[in-house]
Amino acid sequence: MLRLIELKNVEKTYPNGTVALREVNLKIEKGEFVFLVGPSGSGKSTMVKLLLKEEDATEGDVYVNGYDVTSMSRQEVPYLRRSLGVVFQDFRLLPNKTVYENVAFAMVITESLPKEIRRQVPMALALVGLSRKANMYPNQLSGGEQQRVALARALVNNPALLIADEPTGNLDPETSWEIMKLLSEVNHRGTTVIVATHEKSIVDEMKKRVVAISKGLIVRDQEKGLYRDEDKNSPAYN
Amino acid sequence: MKIRTVRHIIKEGAINSYRNKLMSLASVMIVTATLVVFGFFLLTAYNLEDNIKVWKESPQLEAFCYDELDDAQVQKVEDSIKNNDKIVSYEKVTKEEAFQKAKEKLGSGTELLNGYGESIFPVSFIIKLKDTAYSKEVVATLEKTSGIRKVSYSQDTIDIITRISYWIKLGSSFMVTVFLIVSIFIISNTIKLTVFARRKEINIMKYIGATDWFIRWPFVVEGVIISVIGAVVAFVISTYAYNAIQVRFAQDLFIANTQLLKLAKVQEVWSQLAVYYMLIGAVVGTMGSFLSIRRYLKV
Repeated sequence: MLRLIELKNVEKTYPNGTVALREVNLKIEKGEFVFLVGPSGSGKSTMVKLLLKEEDATEGDVYVNGYDVTSMSRQEVPYLRRSLGVVFQDFRLLPNKTVYENVAFAMVITESLPKEIRRQVPMALALVGLSRKANMYPNQLSGGEQQRVALARALVNNPALLIADEPTGNLDPETSWEIMKLLSEVNHRGTTVIVATHEKSIVDEMKKRVVAISKGLIVRDQEKGLYRDEDKNSPAYN
Repeated sequence: MKIRTVRHIIKEGAINSYRNKLMSLASVMIVTATLVVFGFFLLTAYNLEDNIKVWKESPQLEAFCYDELDDAQVQKVEDSIKNNDKIVSYEKVTKEEAFQKAKEKLGSGTELLNGYGESIFPVSFIIKLKDTAYSKEVVATLEKTSGIRKVSYSQDTIDIITRISYWIKLGSSFMVTVFLIVSIFIISNTIKLTVFARRKEINIMKYIGATDWFIRWPFVVEGVIISVIGAVVAFVISTYAYNAIQVRFAQDLFIANTQLLKLAKVQEVWSQLAVYYMLIGAVVGTMGSFLSIRRYLKV
């Protein structure tokens, strides 16, 4: 079985003493679509940071995309990150580069052939429906469009895994839906997608696997789940 | 690393230094100043060495006999010079030759010699030594030889100049070192500012999987661009200034009709200067940027 992500007994304590994750065990298979839900400060972001090796687990093992994240050296980190696409709440586009250049940049970094770049970038832009805005700058686009550029950039290298950290946090409900539909489409094409989110309505509507975190613990892991468990006593409810 | 990546890195470095115009300019100026100071000392040392070499090659000693010696006595002096094994060769300057030389030297002022004969000039011997190290010893021997009135030798002058040039070298190394350190810090500061201005961008690059060096190299390129521009400006300034000084100096010496000191022509020194400037520029730029990258670019 192809296990894309596995967290074994992961603990994370920040240097200031804050315990962000406790005894986290999580497996995500290839091709899954997973919502990571929970209130602010629950440990969602910490989990995303562990997957990207922005932070190191204090205890336990983290495997992502065939990489042993816990024991990898600094030099290997870029290769881990290239193997997955990341989308953030604040888009993180380069303001002085056009839409096309922003997307192409992810391929420049991986030293792809110019021929490859010329083929892949328009495809990625077409996927997110921004072919006509290729020569515009990020500040000329709406929030939803910027997030779609970020998505195109995350997908241009054909990663096996896409991690979206609050991708709709800065967007209005309608635009949020567009982004979520895109993520779902990406998932249908075979990419494993993990979305950390607050958007109750979307999570409830999409009926995907839901992993709920509260106070650093995984309190619920449910196929076709809802944002909140029917069980009112669930800690995720608080 | 692939060529297209190198091209990307160089382009980014150039854009960085252009965006950061004011600080880049300040850095270029300090590099220029450092190199001009360095060039001044380098050229001074070069010319001193050059002159010392000429002096060392010129007749080491000239032993003058008493005017009134007769041929036999002169012969005795000559024999003692001939038998000295520390002397490689010697040349006898007869009274007539000395008279001719004086006439030549005086040029239009020959009337000064009217009424005087060649007898007022002493016979002398121009002596070349095996090694300049023997000069003091040989001088002592010659001075004791009867019939020799005086020994003139340039060793004293050479010694003084050698000592001066030693101090100049020492002093200039010290000053140039100080200036180099200042330049490195100023460049490093410029790079630091660029790093701060671009930290968001650096962060984004990290997330999409840029390697550390992919992020670092443009900053190194920026440092090198700054210092190489500084080196080119310094080179232009120093060669122009040196050429002007050298031409003036040569004219003055020509008027003063002396061969005592000469400055090398700019054509002789420019290539050396260019090599030094480029090397120092590249090293200073690289070190400056590395310093900043290590301290401020936590990738």
